[in-house]
Amino acid sequence: MLTYLLRRVLLMLPTLLGITVVVFTVMAMSPGGISAQSLIGGMDMKPQEKQALLDYYNKRYGLDQPAPMQYLRWLNNVSPVGFINNERGEREFSFTKGMDLGTSFQYGRPVADILAERIPITLLLNVLTIPVTYLIAILVGVYSAKHRGGSFDVASGIAMLALWSIPTMLAGVLLLGFFANVQYFNWFPTAGISSREALDMPFLPHWNEQGFVRGFLLDRLWHLVLPVLCLSYGSFAALAKLTRTAVLENLSADYARTARAKGVAENDVLWRHVFRNSLLPLITVSAGLLPGLLAGSLIVENIFSINGMGQLAVEAVKGRDRELVLSITWVSGFLTLVGYLIADFCYTLADPRVTYD
Amino acid sequence: MQKQLTVHDRIIYSLLFILVLLLILTMYQIDRQWLKLSDMQTTLSEQAKAMRELNTVLANAQLRTDTTKVSQRSVAPAFKRAYQASQLPDYAQGDWSVDAFGNNIKTITPLVSSDAYAANVQGFVLESLINRDPETLAWEGLIAKSWQVSADGLTIRFQLREDVHFSDGVPLTADDVVFTYDFIMTEAIQAPRERAYLEKIKSVKANGQYEVVFTFKEPYFEALSLAGGMNILAKHFYSEYLTKPQQFNESKGLLLGSGPYRLTDAKNWTPDKGNIELVRNERYWGDVQPPYNRILWKIIQNDSARLTTFRNGGIDSYSARAVEYEALKTDQQLLDKSQHFEYMPPVVGYSYIAWNQQRAGKPTRFADAKVRQAMTYLTDTSRIIKDIYLNYAEPAVSPFSPISKQHDTQLTPYSYDLAKAKALLKQAGYQDNNNDGVLEDNTGQPFEFKLTYFEANEDTKRLVLLLKDLYAKAGIKMIPTPQEWPVMLENIDKKDFDAITLGWTSGIETDLYQMFHSSQAISKGDNFINYKSPELDKLIEQARATVDEDKRMPLWRQAERVLYQDQPYTFLMRRKSLLFIDNRIKNLTMTKLGLNFGSLPLENYVPLAAQKYSQ
Repeated sequence: MLTYLLRRVLLMLPTLLGITVVVFTVMAMSPGGISAQSLIGGMDMKPQEKQALLDYYNKRYGLDQPAPMQYLRWLNNVSPVGFINNERGEREFSFTKGMDLGTSFQYGRPVADILAERIPITLLLNVLTIPVTYLIAILVGVYSAKHRGGSFDVASGIAMLALWSIPTMLAGVLLLGFFANVQYFNWFPTAGISSREALDMPFLPHWNEQGFVRGFLLDRLWHLVLPVLCLSYGSFAALAKLTRTAVLENLSADYARTARAKGVAENDVLWRHVFRNSLLPLITVSAGLLPGLLAGSLIVENIFSINGMGQLAVEAVKGRDRELVLSITWVSGFLTLVGYLIADFCYTLADPRVTYD
Repeated sequence: MQKQLTVHDRIIYSLLFILVLLLILTMYQIDRQWLKLSDMQTTLSEQAKAMRELNTVLANAQLRTDTTKVSQRSVAPAFKRAYQASQLPDYAQGDWSVDAFGNNIKTITPLVSSDAYAANVQGFVLESLINRDPETLAWEGLIAKSWQVSADGLTIRFQLREDVHFSDGVPLTADDVVFTYDFIMTEAIQAPRERAYLEKIKSVKANGQYEVVFTFKEPYFEALSLAGGMNILAKHFYSEYLTKPQQFNESKGLLLGSGPYRLTDAKNWTPDKGNIELVRNERYWGDVQPPYNRILWKIIQNDSARLTTFRNGGIDSYSARAVEYEALKTDQQLLDKSQHFEYMPPVVGYSYIAWNQQRAGKPTRFADAKVRQAMTYLTDTSRIIKDIYLNYAEPAVSPFSPISKQHDTQLTPYSYDLAKAKALLKQAGYQDNNNDGVLEDNTGQPFEFKLTYFEANEDTKRLVLLLKDLYAKAGIKMIPTPQEWPVMLENIDKKDFDAITLGWTSGIETDLYQMFHSSQAISKGDNFINYKSPELDKLIEQARATVDEDKRMPLWRQAERVLYQDQPYTFLMRRKSLLFIDNRIKNLTMTKLGLNFGSLPLENYVPLAAQKYSQ
């Protein structure tokens, strides 16, 4: 097992390197260089201003060097071991230099700071979304498999197909238009992840002289209802279908019949034997979850004005913000690989027949 | 197979239970402290309010007793309009002004920030020496009480008010003005744009505590606005960053000034808070205290979410596109809760089509003035305004606003004239020799060109399609070429395009140097069409070096006539601002600068009965 783990981890290195090479090349070749993009809104600038800004960027980020040199420089900065310049200005190899993700062109701030700002927001959204997704998917899937052909099965089948087909963009705008609009149901807020008033509130809900105060916690949850709904409906629809198929297949398997024959209660057959075996496809899907946790969703984030990773990634690409793009792809590439690794291990947990020795 | 809970399990479960209980109890404990704290905050703000009222009473009392020395405490001209507003019967202080920005703000630190949103926020916090009067557009003193320009226009002296102080109570003196200039000119500070402007200044010197002298290298027509319009930074606050410029350049919210509002924490605002909030500067020195308790900007990126928020009363204003405005104007729910305005601010930019006269060292078809004139005759501006902008725009004659003194009122926009255009093209040597509907030049090449435009704008897309039809009528084949913003900028820098449609912003007085002077036809200059006219060059140079306005304006008008004749650009139109504003906001009037909504010193307010936010 350990050798397998080691082999997988070592294999990650060339893959990650490959990812950065491809991304860097694409960024370097994309039309409209970094310097051009830094001048968005720069049409109002006078030429000497523009020239001054360009020179400034070139000097600060070494953009005037050839692309392979820039790449090697970036790689050295990012890797946890590498060359540094010591106090005497000599180049030496260091094992303790640490990782430096660089500075974003657009923001003029260290990439690590920006990521540290955005990651918690996206994590929060997803930490809420994933359990909701899986809970609904499993309940609906197992129930409709158990009562195959029943009215619930037919109704949920149609409903899930319908949900799965609705584009998020439309759903988000519709949700906003109907459930956050004074003309229909003004139940939820329109934008952001907390309201201004909540910043002055205590954390937990409580009652005071003016009546009920929802507190910071409830306010945050209240803001997240629509985005989480928007993020989860597509995936629980798909997952429910998947669960249903897997459970159905296992319900009619020989071992399920044997279990019933030896007198195991129907509920135990379902949850202890059949369900456990039906988990495999769900685990395969969940391999993509870890990177998805951080990737965020551009559309939902945009509609509900949430500053998560999705928006950051798109802004970075549009802005040709190389250091930021590289860091985001690097981080999400790493997480994808780790996600697959974890999924492979989960197989051994769900199915004792799977081993890697 | 029934599984019993073992002792082991019970211990784990009870431990977990205790942990959760403890967590909840801790939260309650912290909450209690928080409540206590907010109580104290309320008390404090009430006291501050009482103090402000006391100050006002004191000032009024002084005014009454010192009738002989009225000038001492009377309202300065810059605050005249705000003072008049404060005398209206339903005037009340209090409430918040809440608005929305359509994009994330990266930083609100002055100099480092580059977008209009940040500039908007800074406007409430930082102040300059002088301000424009919204009625006469003349300069009047804000921090400066008077100023003198030397006869040669090279020296400007400002006398500062002696009662101005920053929001932390430190007095603002001539030292701060000198510091601001020195700070911007420090190479390590990320302010290349501002530095490029201030290059024209030779020195800034303090003459005593309350007088400051700007000396210029050469006479410059915008000298007064350059010196007087500079936002004054606090020396005691910003000077530490001279030794650690990196920290300043990467900062997100270092903002402290003498203005009517301030950040609660002048050093630690960060963009991840999602909102930008300014609170009243309780120590504000101005003759009139601002009305709102807070100014809040929410970030709402999605257009329909912004409109919905406005409908729900979550924000105070909503600016609409022409097509949208036309529909919303008849929307009963909006009409009941808001007032709407259509107006043309004098500083509104104009859009244009620029004809590239030189590509890869060779002159293009558009190097011929007759061809450019023909193109302008073919560009049916009035139809564009009617069909695409639903008449919420007016045709542009030149870079100068039609109400500006720079504009020659005798010039009128070229009107659509197919026959004239065809005649001009014939004179320039274009004829349809092979009868395929497309004109050919003397060498037999068809008249065909690419029009580059920014792909993401819906209105521009429709505009280009309309133009394609219009040009086809004269036998000219136009190929629409949508481009991404960075790609387009790169092509402009390389001058790699046939024609391009874009917009420029204008000022109260618009300089032509940047776009039309032949010296700017260099690489990466803004005269990216390689337009060269010695006559115009001379006029621009003369006008820029003329400090006397009465002598300068005729020069600008003459320059405008040259542009009108040459048509280096086909000037399209200026678009109106279409704005919905919540009914709570009162005293909205039109000035020469446009609507006075949010203009400083603040003239709008919310009457007591309509106030929504109590803090």
